[in-house]
Amino acid sequence: MGTSARITILTGHYGSGKTELAINLAINARKNGEKVAVCDLDIVNPYFRSRDASALFREHSIKLVAPPERLATADLPIIPAEILAVVKDEESRVIIDAGGDKEGAAVLGQFFHEWKDGSLEVLFVLNASRPYVSTLDGALYTVRQIEKASRLTVTGIINNTNLGASTTIKDIQKGQDLSIMLSHKLGKPVKYTFLESSLRIEGSNLEMMSNKMMTMDRYLKLPWE
Amino acid sequence: MGKLLMKGNEVIAEAAVHAGCKYFFGYPITPQSELVAYMARRLPEAGGLFLQAESEIAAINMVYGAAGTGVRVMTSSSSPGFSLKQEGISYLAGAELPALIVNIARGGPGLGNIQPAQSDYFQVTKGGGHGDYNIPVLAPATLQEIIDLIREAFEIADRYRTPVILLGDGMLGQMMEAVEFPEKPAVKETHKEWTTTGTRGDGAPRVITSLDLNAESLEQRNEHLQRKFASIRQNEARFETLYCEDADYFVVAYGTVARIAVNAVKKARKDGVKAGLIRPITLWPFPLQPFIDTRDRAKGYLAVEMSAGQMVDDVRLSVNGRAAVSFFGRTGGVVPTQEEIYEQLIITAGGGDVNENGI
Repeated sequence: MGTSARITILTGHYGSGKTELAINLAINARKNGEKVAVCDLDIVNPYFRSRDASALFREHSIKLVAPPERLATADLPIIPAEILAVVKDEESRVIIDAGGDKEGAAVLGQFFHEWKDGSLEVLFVLNASRPYVSTLDGALYTVRQIEKASRLTVTGIINNTNLGASTTIKDIQKGQDLSIMLSHKLGKPVKYTFLESSLRIEGSNLEMMSNKMMTMDRYLKLPWE
Repeated sequence: MGKLLMKGNEVIAEAAVHAGCKYFFGYPITPQSELVAYMARRLPEAGGLFLQAESEIAAINMVYGAAGTGVRVMTSSSSPGFSLKQEGISYLAGAELPALIVNIARGGPGLGNIQPAQSDYFQVTKGGGHGDYNIPVLAPATLQEIIDLIREAFEIADRYRTPVILLGDGMLGQMMEAVEFPEKPAVKETHKEWTTTGTRGDGAPRVITSLDLNAESLEQRNEHLQRKFASIRQNEARFETLYCEDADYFVVAYGTVARIAVNAVKKARKDGVKAGLIRPITLWPFPLQPFIDTRDRAKGYLAVEMSAGQMVDDVRLSVNGRAAVSFFGRTGGVVPTQEEIYEQLIITAGGGDVNENGI
């Protein structure tokens, strides 16, 4: 991944794709031979969370820090205590999948003293095709709300703009434009632009758009997919 | 506006705003809380009013009050919360008030869980509350279809002066898909003769109530309601069929399960079994036509549901003994897989018993 931070916190608007990114970032880091833990801190979403990919994590020898399986769908805001162990483990890459919006980010605030001096990156995941973050004002408002709730400062942006299976090059370009505007406003870089690997969009324009283009696989699928 | 990637719950809310809904009263419950949260933010922007009630019972009665003034109003909940609303829904039906009620169903009975289910079918289609009444029930299968059906739901509600239910399961509420809101002309405020918006000396006082102490008079009111229900049965049944022209075996499924079943039907056809799909879009009125069209040549029907077998009763009534009807269901929040449905379809085509629950 070429990242120097040991702990990556994924924040963003509700439904921006944080969980799919957490899975992909974790698998990529494992491929580089790193010891990896994914922390599911999503107290907002009832379905489609990191814990729903637990078999996948086992298969890739990625540690999943999540509520115990018997409580995985309890509809309770459970914060696993084990998160402290992996955050303190200097050997481990840690990817934190927080819930969406300021409500999801509020969970992060309590760990402020655990990671304030650590090697930390806080990435804002942007899908410019989602309601309320399709404009600069909307995206900026969401970033500020998340920063306030989490007691953290966003250090970079991930452009994850997509329309699911209907994604076109135009959508990604739109997201890229917005990411760059947001980047100027925040004074923080656009770290990556993600593209779902199955989309097979012609790559020539994309390379011009960004040299940080990454492909991702989608793991959390619907029963008819 | 262009295309957006949205959650089912968000689409329901935005579609209602597009359809001219100005008032929302509700109480959050998983897996439909995003709908409530979205409305809390969106309705004030649209010049409407969002109010989180102290309970589901309060919310449905607030809907009753607002509907009496003729505005477009809605509430939403999930199974246990929807049960709490039943008394109010019966009152809405009795007082003939138009409103939209959304149920994003979860596993039951009782507190159950937060996983998707279709086990509220009986409740929504057979009355649910007390008294002789039915309510039109729309069951979308895709997020784009939600947009069309919400608009239709409000139109049906106004046309017949009736509450309308939109039924989905938790998966429909939680999943994301690209949607596009068509640019349609704004809903024009229709003058309603019956609203209680204050007397101005312009006629007899208007009263909205379901109370009628005189037996003969209440019977006449019931006869009026039954004529209305007959008219809805006649005019509002909606369905979709796929590969039914030459099919021998018919899978019957609604909502998200229909999307899973499509893949099983396609695979069966590939393997030489002439299978088709009947997807009821209205659950009440249950669409009789696709069964009339097929039941004299059908070799069998297979109802598939996320329940222990509820819609299958309406399939049997519609087939009326002219062909075998079998059933496959998963319950408690378990979603049937396309492989399982395929397997059941092949067993149906082989003429065997489907499973120990099948009759």
